Amino acid sequence: MFALQLALSGLAQGAIYALVALSMCVVYRATTIVNFGHGDLVMAGAFVVYLLAVLAGLPFLAAATLAVVLLFILGLLIEIGLIERIKAGPHIGFALMCIAFGYLLRGIARAVWGREVLPMPSVFNFPPVFLGELVITADALVIFAAVGLLLAAFFAVFYRSSAGRVMQALCQSERGAALVGINVRAFHGVMWGVGAALGAVGGVLLAPITLLHPGLGASFLIKGFAAMTLGGFGSFGGAVLGGLILGVAEQLVGGYVSTKLIDITAYLVIILVLALRPNGLFGRAIAEKV
Amino acid sequence: MLELKDVSVSFAGLQALSQVSLSARAGEVRALIGPNGAGKTTLFNAITGYVPIASGAIMLNGAPIQGLSPHEIAALGVRRTFQNGGLFGELTALENVLAGLHSRIDASFAGILFGTRAARDAERAAVARARELLRTLGVAHLADQPVKSMSGGQQRTIEIVRAVAAEPPLLLLDEPAVGLAPPLRAQLVELIRRLAGQMGIAVLLIEHAVDLVMAAADAVAVFNGGIKIAEGTPAAIRADPAVLEAYLGHG
Amino acid sequence: MRFYLIPLAAAAIPLVANPYTQFMVNLMLVYILVAVGFNLVLGNLGQLAFANTALFGIGAYTAAMLMAHAGWPFWLVILPAGLAGAAAGFLASVTALRGIRVYYLAIVTLAFGELLRWSYIHGERVTGGTDGLAVPRADFFGIALDSETARFYVFLLIVTVLVKAVSNLLRSRIGRAIVAIRDNELATASLAIPTGRYIVLAFALSGFVVGIAGSLFAVLIGRVIPESFGLIELILHFAMVLVGGLGSLFGSVLGAVALTALPEFFRRFPGMYEMFFGALLIVFLLAQPRGLAALAARWWPQLRDRYYRDR
Repeated sequence: MFALQLALSGLAQGAIYALVALSMCVVYRATTIVNFGHGDLVMAGAFVVYLLAVLAGLPFLAAATLAVVLLFILGLLIEIGLIERIKAGPHIGFALMCIAFGYLLRGIARAVWGREVLPMPSVFNFPPVFLGELVITADALVIFAAVGLLLAAFFAVFYRSSAGRVMQALCQSERGAALVGINVRAFHGVMWGVGAALGAVGGVLLAPITLLHPGLGASFLIKGFAAMTLGGFGSFGGAVLGGLILGVAEQLVGGYVSTKLIDITAYLVIILVLALRPNGLFGRAIAEKV
Repeated sequence: MLELKDVSVSFAGLQALSQVSLSARAGEVRALIGPNGAGKTTLFNAITGYVPIASGAIMLNGAPIQGLSPHEIAALGVRRTFQNGGLFGELTALENVLAGLHSRIDASFAGILFGTRAARDAERAAVARARELLRTLGVAHLADQPVKSMSGGQQRTIEIVRAVAAEPPLLLLDEPAVGLAPPLRAQLVELIRRLAGQMGIAVLLIEHAVDLVMAAADAVAVFNGGIKIAEGTPAAIRADPAVLEAYLGHG
Repeated sequence: MRFYLIPLAAAAIPLVANPYTQFMVNLMLVYILVAVGFNLVLGNLGQLAFANTALFGIGAYTAAMLMAHAGWPFWLVILPAGLAGAAAGFLASVTALRGIRVYYLAIVTLAFGELLRWSYIHGERVTGGTDGLAVPRADFFGIALDSETARFYVFLLIVTVLVKAVSNLLRSRIGRAIVAIRDNELATASLAIPTGRYIVLAFALSGFVVGIAGSLFAVLIGRVIPESFGLIELILHFAMVLVGGLGSLFGSVLGAVALTALPEFFRRFPGMYEMFFGALLIVFLLAQPRGLAALAARWWPQLRDRYYRDR
C-alpha cells in the first residue's frame, strides 16, 4: 500500500516531467536543437502564473491561459530573434545561446523576486479522493486531468490531423518541405513557441504544488533530459513514458532508500542509461548524420 | 591487396548492396561507375568501416577487416576522400595534411607536453614532409590558407594530398572531379595516374564523368541498384550493352 | 621565447598593486587556468560540456582535504588536484568510447557535474557539507604563502608552466587531432586517428588544468564551499571562453583577465549577475562569436592560432 501510494504521487510528479520532456522533444525534433535553456522557460511559466494570480489577482485559469500564451510568444521571439540569427556561426553557438537566455530569464526572475522561496496558496481546494486506503490529492487530480487532456490533444494533432502530417514531413526533411512550399523559418518559430508553451503548462501545474525559486529551471532541465534519455532521445511517446517512470522511480527511491537520493535519481538515470543502453529503454536508435 | 567477396549491406531492411565482389591491385586504378544510388559510396563506407556489412567478407592482404572501426582500417593503410568534402575547414592546408600524417609523427606525450628537442624535431620533420607533398602535388601556394576559404577544386586537391600523405597502399577517391574546371580535370587525371604509376598505390575511384574515367582508369566496374553489373577494361565497358542499358535506360 | 615576455612583464605587477588589486590579479591567474582548460573541450574539441565547475571543485576539494585532513603542504597537493581533475574529466566523458557524442555527451557531463556537486554537499564528514572546509595556511617549498604577493609569484609560475604546456600540446599532433574532431569527426577517423580516445583525452587534459586551478583557488580564497562550484559559477566559465574566443589559447587569457573582476560588482543586486552574463553571452554570440581574440587577430595576424610548430 505504501508502495502504491508512493507510485501514485510519483505519477503526478512524473506527469509534469513527461510534459517538460515532451516540450523539449518538440523543439529538438522540429529544429534539431537541444534547448539547454528549456528548464528556465518552465520556471518562467510558473513565475508568470504566480505574478498574475497572486499579485495581479487574476483567477487561476485566466492567469494560466495568459501565462501559456505569453510563453508561446517568448519562445517564438527567442527563435526568430536569437537562434535564427546565428545560423552562420559555429554549431556550438546554438547551445550556448540557449544557455545564455536561460540565465537571462533566471536573472530576471531573481531580480523581480529577491532571494526568498515562495509558496503559492493552493488553488485547487476541493477535497481529495479516497480509493480504499489510497489518497489522491486534488492537486494530483488536476495534474492528471490537465496532462492527460493535453497529451491526447497533442498526439491527436500530430498524428491524426493534416497540420500534423505537415509537421511530421518537416521533421523528416526540411529541404523536401521547403521544396513543396512550406515556410521552414515560420515553422521553426512556431515549434519553438509550442515547445515553450507546453513547458509553461508544466510550470503552471507546478506552481501550486511546489516552492518557487528562480533556480527551479536547472533541475527541470535535468529531469526533462533524464525522461527523454529513458524513452529514447527524440521520441515523443518515449519522453512521456520516460517522465512517468522517472517520477515513480524518484518517489520509490525516496521512500525506500533515502530522501537525499531523490535529487540525484535523474542524474543517475542519465548516466546509467547512456552508459548501458544509449538508445533508451525502448530501443529507438539514436539518429546520427553520416 | 583488397578483396571483397559477396559483400551485402542493408539499411533498415533495404538492400543497399547485394553480393558484391571486387578487388583492387597495387599500381592499378579501378573506377566504380553507375547512376546515383547504385551503392558506390556505400561500398566505400563498407570497406572503410563506416557502415557494417550484413554478409560477405572484406580482406586486406589476406586478413579480414570487416567489423573493424574506421580508424583501425585507416591504420592498416586504407585512406579515402569524402564525396561531400572531408576537410577540416578551420585548419590550413598544411595543418590538414599534417593531420593525415598523424600516425607517422613519432613524438611521445611527455615530449610534446614539455616541448623536448625530440618531439620538436619529429614535428619539424612532419611539417617539412607536408610542405614537400603540397609542393609535389602543385599546391604549395595554398599551404598556409584556411581551407574553408578555398575553391571547391582546391579543396578536392588538398583532400587528396591529405589522404596520400601517409603513403597508403590503398586509396579510395569519392568523386574527386566534382566542381573542377576542365584544365584542372586534366591535372587530376595526371595526379591519379601518378599516384598509381609512380607511388604504386591501388586506387578505387568513384566518378560520373565518363571521359575522366576512360582517361584515368585501368579497369571499370559498373554498378546499378546495389549490384555490380559489369566489369572490364574501359574500352570493353564502353561497348557493353548492359552498361548502355543502365545508363541510357535511366536517361 | 616571445611567449615568456608576458609573464616576465606581469612579474612587475606587485610593484604597483595594493593588496586588493593584487588579490584580483591572483584570481585572474586562477581563472586563466579555468578558461584555458575549459577551452580545450569547448573551443578546441567543440564539445559542449557542463562539468567544468565540478572539475574546478574537485581540484579545490582535493587540495583542501589533503591539506586539512592529511596535513600535506600546498606544493605537494597541486599535482594530486590536477590528477583528480583529470580523473573526473575522464569519467565525465568516458561514454564517448561507447559512441556517445555531441548533445548526449553534453547531457552526461551535466549529470556528472551535478552528481559531483551533490557529493560535496552530502559528504559532510570529509567535505564539511554546505559549511565547507577551511584551507590551512599554505606553503610552497618552505615559503609561507601568507601574502598576496607571495601567492602571486607562485601562481604566476604555475600558470606559465601550464599554459606553455597547453600551447605545446595544441601545436602538436594531439592538438590537431582534437581540433580535427571538432571540424569533422568522420574524416578524422579516416586518418587513423582514434577519435573516441582523443575526446576522452581532451576532457582529461582539461580536467587536469582546471583541477590545478581549483587547488590555487582553494589556497587563494581560504575556504572551499559547494556553492562556489554551482551554476552561478558555470556561466562565468562559459563567458570567459566565449568572450575570449572559442578555441583560442590567447583568447582564454584575455577572457579571464577581462571578466574576473566583474562578479564583485553584482553581488549586492540579486539577479544582476545572471542577467549581465546571460546578456553578455547573447551579445557576443550575435555580434562577435569568435570573441576578443578574433578582434585582436585583425590587428595582429600573428595571433591566429596555429596547430603546428616548425621551430
